[in-house]
Amino acid sequence: NGMDTLQPLETTISDKERFRDSVPLELSCPNCITKFAFGGIVASRYYRCVYSGIQCSNCDHIMTPIQVTSQVERVIRAHISLYYAGWVTCDDTTCGNVTRQISVYGKRCLMDGCTGIMSYKYSDKQLYNQMLYFQSLFDLQKNKLQTLKPLYHSGDKNEPEKPLSNSEVQALAEQNRPLFETSKQVVQKYLSDCGRAYVDMGSIFDFMQT
Amino acid sequence: DAKKYKFRTMRQSLLDAADVLDEQIDIFTEVIQKHHNLKASDIGDPTFQQQSEVYTVGRIVADSVSAEGSLNVDSLAIETSRSTGIGRRIRLNFEKVQDLSVFPGQIIGLRGKNANGEYFVVEEILKVPYLNFPVSDAETLQNSQITLNDQAMKVVVTAGPYTAANNLDFSNLADFVERINSSIKPHVLVMFGPFLDITHPLISTGNIPEFPSLKQQPKTLDEIFIKVITPILRRINPKIQVIVLPSTKEVSSKHAAYPQDSLDRKYLGLPKNFKCFTNPSTFQLNEIFFGCSNNDIYKDLKEVTKGGNVFQRNRFDRVSEHILEQRRYYPVFPGGIRTRKIEDKNGKPIFEHISGADLDLPYLGLTEFVGGIIPDVILIPSELTHFARVVQNVIMINPGSFIRPNGGRGTYVEMSIEAPDMENEKMTKVEDVYLHNLWKRSRIDVLTA
Repeated sequence: NGMDTLQPLETTISDKERFRDSVPLELSCPNCITKFAFGGIVASRYYRCVYSGIQCSNCDHIMTPIQVTSQVERVIRAHISLYYAGWVTCDDTTCGNVTRQISVYGKRCLMDGCTGIMSYKYSDKQLYNQMLYFQSLFDLQKNKLQTLKPLYHSGDKNEPEKPLSNSEVQALAEQNRPLFETSKQVVQKYLSDCGRAYVDMGSIFDFMQT
Repeated sequence: DAKKYKFRTMRQSLLDAADVLDEQIDIFTEVIQKHHNLKASDIGDPTFQQQSEVYTVGRIVADSVSAEGSLNVDSLAIETSRSTGIGRRIRLNFEKVQDLSVFPGQIIGLRGKNANGEYFVVEEILKVPYLNFPVSDAETLQNSQITLNDQAMKVVVTAGPYTAANNLDFSNLADFVERINSSIKPHVLVMFGPFLDITHPLISTGNIPEFPSLKQQPKTLDEIFIKVITPILRRINPKIQVIVLPSTKEVSSKHAAYPQDSLDRKYLGLPKNFKCFTNPSTFQLNEIFFGCSNNDIYKDLKEVTKGGNVFQRNRFDRVSEHILEQRRYYPVFPGGIRTRKIEDKNGKPIFEHISGADLDLPYLGLTEFVGGIIPDVILIPSELTHFARVVQNVIMINPGSFIRPNGGRGTYVEMSIEAPDMENEKMTKVEDVYLHNLWKRSRIDVLTA
């Protein structure tokens, strides 16, 4: 129950921390169907950013902008739809009830005798952070500052041999500006409709209206 | 009120959702109580062991919270509202009921007894009254008669997808637009999305083909709509009124939840004869009320049935009656979901979410019938076979998909509605107003698209 516990201000935590639970953006090469996690302009065994776009390391196909943005949009919509599937889960670890049924009391667990509290398994905060994560991948500044959430932990078997040099990242970011800005706009399209991104001042100051 | 659909999505509160679920039961409790002349004290808590019979109203739910998928007569329970049974649930025993068709999410009125505290034995399922039909006064009807010049009003209905599953070729839609202009010539064309389906297989793989007609290839899916689909739609004769309803699978809608905000006409470059409506929406063409919803209730409503009389009837009729009785375009809860079985990294089978009914529960009130009436005609597209049926004097239509997934031609619907004529025996006069009796005045053809 995040609201009750003391937490650092959202804006002060690092992307690595904020996107801890976010899942990677998985792209598939339209040419050879290899799937890979896209982590921005970073080193990877599966893809490389070249001056003309994102290139599949398996077949050397360079993805066109629509081949990238269509997948980004599809992935976002799958996340939104999963959110709206409305899975709820019980916080009592001995119960662990996962269901799409909701009691008329909302937070009450429907298992006999369980006093646990139900909450959305895929919370709106998680969805919002997930979309911010996707947005960060196409954020040129974050790419240049190399503050993106790393794709791999050290020791992962898929970890690339060596990171990209700073100058490579700077150059590639500029060369890919149009692609990244277009992709970022695709994410922005959904963020602009996301209720979590906006605070309803009306309801906060409700008490002032008599 | 279309403005109410402009809410921001992705912010469901569980408490708001529960309020709506509770309220649905309370609303029907009042309706059923009034219709059957019951006193408030006759409505009882079915979850308590009692010696006497009680009347009760609640939601049909699965008797186990983990039950997803198929249910049967022995695995159902009723959920009470906060006020009738503090939200408790009790298993239902339908042994004494001959015929029934119920579904999860249905608000139901029952007479019966809970003799042992284990289950509620149902003696009778109480009828929920249908809402009234819309009526018009003589002046309104005369006006539509004059507007139509005594000719029949022609309404054409299509529903997406408009391309096959293995291409993004809109040439069939382009051909259809030609036919609309040259031979079909309707007054009104109602088009349901998705025009471009986000779950289209080529979109998931990023395998978007080149559009040879375009000098500059689109960079986003929205650009495909604007550069490829809009030019085709713009060719529709501007004298034809076009009504567009989105789908939650529509690429060009950022409001990916049901109830759903309308598409942005200006952004998509659609001309002035296009009206972008919300999903669902109710509107009037002359005197006639159209109810439209683009969420596949005919596929998602999975009945639990019993009795020969029920089986003999057409399933679409039964589902239609449920919609009319529940007074909502999508009465199933939890809403349908579509998943795909895949293997995770360790080879274990898991289910990947593809799409769903995407219900935004706190706003479900916007999916109820508007104005306390039943529309004259209800259009709800479905993946299932097209149909047009008269159910309880309401015309229920599923136009079918415009194109089949394999690329074969799908269907569309042509409605031909006689102008109202008060001298005609087809109109029924009730005091000083008239029932529209659309079902007596309409001819509906399902045609190959």
